[in-house]
Amino acid sequence: MIPLVKLKVYHVFVLIPVIYILVVSIFPTVYMMAGSFTDWKLGIAEMPFVGVKNYVDSLQDYRLYNSLWVIFYLNIMAVPLEIALGIFLAQLMALRLRGRRLFRTMFLLPVFTSPVAVAVMGNIIFYENGGPLNGMLNLLNLSGIPWRSSTTVAPLTVVLCDVWMWTPFCFLITLAGIEAIPREYTEAAVVDGASLFEIFRRINLPLISAPLVTILMFRVLDGLKIFEIPMILVGGGGPGIVTETLTIYIYKTAFRGFFLGRAAAMSLIFMVIIAVLSGFFISRVRKYYV
Amino acid sequence: MSETIRLSRIQIIFAYVVIALFALFFFYPLFWMVVGSFKVPIDQYTLGFIPWLQFQPTLRNWEGELIIQSSENIRGMMNSTVIGLGAASIATVFGVIAGYALARYEFQKMKNINILTWFLSLRFLPPIAMAIPFYVMMQSIGLIDNVIAVIIMHGSAFTPYAVLVIRDAFKSMPIAMEESAMVDGASVFTILRKIALPIAAPALAAIFLLTFSFSWNEYLIAFVLTSKQAATMPIRLAMTMTAIGIFFSQMSVRQLLAVVPPIVLGILVQKYIVSGLTMGAIKA
Repeated sequence: MIPLVKLKVYHVFVLIPVIYILVVSIFPTVYMMAGSFTDWKLGIAEMPFVGVKNYVDSLQDYRLYNSLWVIFYLNIMAVPLEIALGIFLAQLMALRLRGRRLFRTMFLLPVFTSPVAVAVMGNIIFYENGGPLNGMLNLLNLSGIPWRSSTTVAPLTVVLCDVWMWTPFCFLITLAGIEAIPREYTEAAVVDGASLFEIFRRINLPLISAPLVTILMFRVLDGLKIFEIPMILVGGGGPGIVTETLTIYIYKTAFRGFFLGRAAAMSLIFMVIIAVLSGFFISRVRKYYV
Repeated sequence: MSETIRLSRIQIIFAYVVIALFALFFFYPLFWMVVGSFKVPIDQYTLGFIPWLQFQPTLRNWEGELIIQSSENIRGMMNSTVIGLGAASIATVFGVIAGYALARYEFQKMKNINILTWFLSLRFLPPIAMAIPFYVMMQSIGLIDNVIAVIIMHGSAFTPYAVLVIRDAFKSMPIAMEESAMVDGASVFTILRKIALPIAAPALAAIFLLTFSFSWNEYLIAFVLTSKQAATMPIRLAMTMTAIGIFFSQMSVRQLLAVVPPIVLGILVQKYIVSGLTMGAIKA
């Protein structure tokens, strides 16, 4: 029924953004793939072919493994905590207490605070000689905590900032999920004398699996790319390299060491990791888009 | 409707205390920033937060950052605004056309769901992997430290996002009016302009503002592509960090300049935020 002309319009509608993205995002990636097989240096036009040397060097580089460990550690500490707190707060908020809109708005603030700003705020809050946190600890006659200078505490400080930034995201999505549950379910359970915890465990939790999978996808995949907080809060992945994430290491290799070839090889390794994980999550999430 | 969860007094008090503690946790750093921006440097290291009683408030920091040494801040704000508007415009326009096509038309060969999944997967590409080669490309055509380069890259980074969310917005609109217009022989453009866009306008405005905020807050791409002239507010903020010593007073002011616009926009578009943050996977 629909004439051919209209068909073409729809195709063009989708093609324009696709071409734009191919040119701006995909083409550079392909360019980089090619560059990863050369001795590519920033500011030098020649790119002599070196085969898989960059990959061999990268895979023998302890700092690459360190950065992989760092992103794994930061995520395993932060993401479960964020999701658990998000569910907990959403469940509390879903009790329809008075003033919940105000609280919801306050919980919204970190979502729109730029990661750089979080890192800069962290510099003040976690300032070790006279910052507000250590100041309060001193008031309680406790000694200050070396938030940013200790190799054991610094990663946890990064985790704390990440939790501050992302718990509200988990909270908002979970709350939307709980509020979408038909009220009859809860009412029937109340009539049957179910406790608060039983309602949460047997009704709400099973029915928010879609939001939870989505949250997990965004948190894990974005969490692996964490950059701003360890970069700015603890001075480029410090102390030493205990918070040097993969993105930071690639950045340093490219723009401080000028080894674009090596950076390209590591970027590709990074993309393979992301591709595997996002394939796993997207195959579970795609049904929400039908 | 009568049977809802009844809470005992103790449960209610417990719930309020817990929520209030978390609200304090989320609010405290921003509050501290506001307090710090009115403190003279020597007071920065004290815990007082009640003006006049615990510290003598001063406007000196605001004066210094907004009037006396304002040029850098104004440039940062201008760059962030220009880049945000440019990127949000690109993303919204492309989002409208592709989102509309994907909401209203069945693609035979490639199937809509596959196209949607492709857009979704782009969201997860690591920005560092695109930024390095893009930097080299922009360098070769002399667009480094130029807002145009950042706009192009941000536009591309946020277009997949806009496509999915806007498609979701169109999908939730009734199709009947568009169908009858099509029967009357109206072209796709007429339908889009006269029927679909006006109905979707609030959602589109929200998505425009959300993309603007994302672009405003984005750091890595802007950081790689700019150095001074085109530096955005987050870069300016990060730069004051690495300078010799930390000037808490000035930093608090810059911090607020960088943080307040996206927060205000975010509160304005609250209604769309769940769909917005999950790229349309979860509706609210």
